[in-house]
Amino acid sequence: MLFFSYFKELVGKEVIVELKNDLAIKGILHSVDQYLNIKLENTQVVDDTKYPHMLSVKNCFIRGSVVRYVQLPPDGVDVDILHDATRREARGG
Amino acid sequence: MSWAGPDNFPATSTSLADNLDKKLLVILRDGRRIIGILRSFDQFANVVLEGAVERSIVEELYCDLPLGLYIIRGENVVLIGELDLEKEELPAFMVAVTHAEIKQAQKVEKDGEEHNKVDHKVQNVTTNK
Repeated sequence: MLFFSYFKELVGKEVIVELKNDLAIKGILHSVDQYLNIKLENTQVVDDTKYPHMLSVKNCFIRGSVVRYVQLPPDGVDVDILHDATRREARGG
Repeated sequence: MSWAGPDNFPATSTSLADNLDKKLLVILRDGRRIIGILRSFDQFANVVLEGAVERSIVEELYCDLPLGLYIIRGENVVLIGELDLEKEELPAFMVAVTHAEIKQAQKVEKDGEEHNKVDHKVQNVTTNK
């Protein structure tokens, strides 16, 4: 639940999602769910010459199970709040 | 389990309901790209696509293979993208070819990749010495 809550805080920020098939997509985080499925808007493939299929795709839904990394903006993280939340989660779990 | 309509979803919930009856690009784990109109979905991201077409692309060649009505099991889904109908789906320089030609091009591309892999292995052996 911690990461679900964390991603909810990041809605509206620009992120780059790197998938397990090596596809990297830059976009604005529109929404996230309990499975960490991600919906991005204004999407742009990072190396678009390699992936011509995605040329006219501007919004996409990414299944949580295929995400390798989510690259965040450097100012997107309040580390102290994250630390507190993690400690709380660890105590509760 | 009650059917959750669009109103039941809170603002941050990720739902494919917005994409119903839209032309979508679905990328599968095996690398296939399927384009079709979303008719149904569920919590596992299983989808029903109407008028599905498999689009194969090799460099500047492409081929569309009609598939009809498809149900895709959610575990195979990587990404579901909404196709903007006003934008060109493909770059203008791309050339449509037949299924046989695209398979031939895919084979050539695959052989080329395997050839490169073999070269890397040879390089590793020499540097270790």
